[in-house]
Amino acid sequence: MLNNKFVKFAIPVAVGALALTACGGGKDDSGKSGGKPTFSIGFQGPLSGDNSALGINENNGLKLAVEEANKKGDLPFTLKVVDGDDQGLPDQAPAAAQKLIGDTSVVAVVGPAFSGPTKASGGLYAQAQLAAVSPSATNPDLTSQGFTSFLRGAPNDNEQGAGMAEYLSKKEKAKKVFVIDDKSEYGVGLAKVAIDNLKAAGVTVETDSVPAKTPDYTAAATKVVNSKADALIYAGYYADLAPFAKKLTDGGFKGIGISGDGSNDAKFVELAGAAADKWFLTCPCTDATKNESTKAFTEAYTAKFNTPPGTYSAESYDIANLVISEMKKLGKDVTRDKLLAALKGVNYKGLTKDFAFDDKGELKIKNVYLYQVADGKIGYLGDVATLSNG
Amino acid sequence: MNLFHNFWDYFIPGLTTGSMYAVIAIGYTLVYGVLQLINFAHSEVFMMGGFGSLVVLSELAPQSPHGFTSVVWVIVGMIAGALVGALTAFGLEKAAYKPLRKRNAPKLVFLISAIGASFFLYNLAGKLWGRNPVPMPELYTNGEVFSVFGTPVKITQLIIIGSAVAMMIGLDLVVNRTKMGAGIRAVAQDAETAGLMGVDIDKIISRTFIIGGLLGGAAGFLYGFGISGQVWFTVGFLPGIKAFAAAVLGGIGNIRGAMLGGLLLGIVENLSSPLFGTQWIDVTAFVVLILVLMFRPTGIMGERLGRSA
Repeated sequence: MLNNKFVKFAIPVAVGALALTACGGGKDDSGKSGGKPTFSIGFQGPLSGDNSALGINENNGLKLAVEEANKKGDLPFTLKVVDGDDQGLPDQAPAAAQKLIGDTSVVAVVGPAFSGPTKASGGLYAQAQLAAVSPSATNPDLTSQGFTSFLRGAPNDNEQGAGMAEYLSKKEKAKKVFVIDDKSEYGVGLAKVAIDNLKAAGVTVETDSVPAKTPDYTAAATKVVNSKADALIYAGYYADLAPFAKKLTDGGFKGIGISGDGSNDAKFVELAGAAADKWFLTCPCTDATKNESTKAFTEAYTAKFNTPPGTYSAESYDIANLVISEMKKLGKDVTRDKLLAALKGVNYKGLTKDFAFDDKGELKIKNVYLYQVADGKIGYLGDVATLSNG
Repeated sequence: MNLFHNFWDYFIPGLTTGSMYAVIAIGYTLVYGVLQLINFAHSEVFMMGGFGSLVVLSELAPQSPHGFTSVVWVIVGMIAGALVGALTAFGLEKAAYKPLRKRNAPKLVFLISAIGASFFLYNLAGKLWGRNPVPMPELYTNGEVFSVFGTPVKITQLIIIGSAVAMMIGLDLVVNRTKMGAGIRAVAQDAETAGLMGVDIDKIISRTFIIGGLLGGAAGFLYGFGISGQVWFTVGFLPGIKAFAAAVLGGIGNIRGAMLGGLLLGIVENLSSPLFGTQWIDVTAFVVLILVLMFRPTGIMGERLGRSA
């Protein structure tokens, strides 16, 4: 099966690589400023499409880091960003990855942002030995697929799902929880962990799957209301949670609503309006605008992009800086293999957390944070473990 | 899952979604009637209607209106959606179909042209309004009006069902009682003979598109404002496919068939959610479609308005 896949990809990869090296070479020569070579950091994530807000958050974080590094002037090379837009869709991911792999100036990739696209492009990165460090692809299975160049800069959904279950069972004392996923790689994975943990805690669980982009969420909302569940976990993205939340409010759902990092974006509140109120959102990310350590970053980001940093902006900025610092150590002769080896053994203190990876490529630190929507804003509550047991 | 205990909880939303499908399905069926052509760009007419009303409402409507002003703005939104829909459908016919008709192009070419027009329109919308969903302004607090066997019926559901029924009755009258309707029926039966009898075929076709566009655009408004609460550039895709299926279910080319097909599809979909799980909604809907077509290949009511040329 794998072989078949590779054969399918091999031809376009080869053709794409040829085409891109041809024009990439030309760019390299003209791009040399003062004898410095040019290297690029690739980005793979949704820059267009229904869930592009999350991708743009990360892309901006990366661009800010690269701009600052260039400005400092102590780099032995010039840095650039190459964008690979996968629209958050698995079927667009191989093309986005091939674009980055084919560009010889790209020595590492920040991303892919989403789990489904990671599954679809992780094998290509592994084959090219091009490091892909994701700030946000949190599906637990990703590190057991043999993606040897994939590193995850965030705790996976096992931690998020467990965090949701812990909070609902311990803090809110929920007896019955309805869990709904959106049939995406991310949603199904997150829901499964949450269900397992809830059952282990003795909570009654009811489940349903509502595919993303379902035209009408009324039936699903009615089901949740009729189940008389104390709480609802939605495992999916904000573009779907928003209409769903509206239908839940319409249907008179009074329980607790909780969703994961896929919905943790200001867009959710904008789209759902008053219906977003009181929704809990978990995230392995901290709120950059609230923490002392990310204050300077928040200011620089706001000045550059005219909007405060969003979900995963700071994490993406951290990962970009981590990559840049390893590149700096390697000096002028950065190669993909050398950088990948260096990144695997990295021990980097970022603004948001400390980055160090275990032998599977998982982040060693596993904290998950809780947020809640209030007055049209996503407010930061704190560490889930502390909140649940406190 | 106890379906019968909660039957009305799913039936009423089903009726709501279904009446929206029905209104869109009429657009497919009308055009098929006069041209024997599936207008696959009709889902984009629906989408443009949604965006048209969104732009008008967010530019003009006051923040959280109530009472009588809410009523006014709902009507304004619907009219805006209908007009933009009609304009889109009119332009579509002029740009994508008429030149082909003049050259007597084969039917397959119309299909390609329709798909091309659809690509163009939704990418244009993506360019104009961005590729993220845009929220529809809220025009009132969605309260309960009355209840049916314990299931509350909300204002929005009443508006959608009510206006859909009004549009369907109006259309039925136009097609069956007016001179223009007689023209549409004549062209549908036999375009050439109708032409010989003095019917201006071009005018009738153009008007058929406009009528389909009015309904499709209004449905775009109803969907964006009452069902999803948001509009985005590919919003037309799924409702468009569903409505097309509804038109086939009822008998493509048959207006009353499209209405029945739409309602049936919406109800079956919503009832399948508690029975089989929400993820099986689409599967159930299409299984019903296939079953019906196996036993009645021309749909429930059969092709009446049109006849294959």
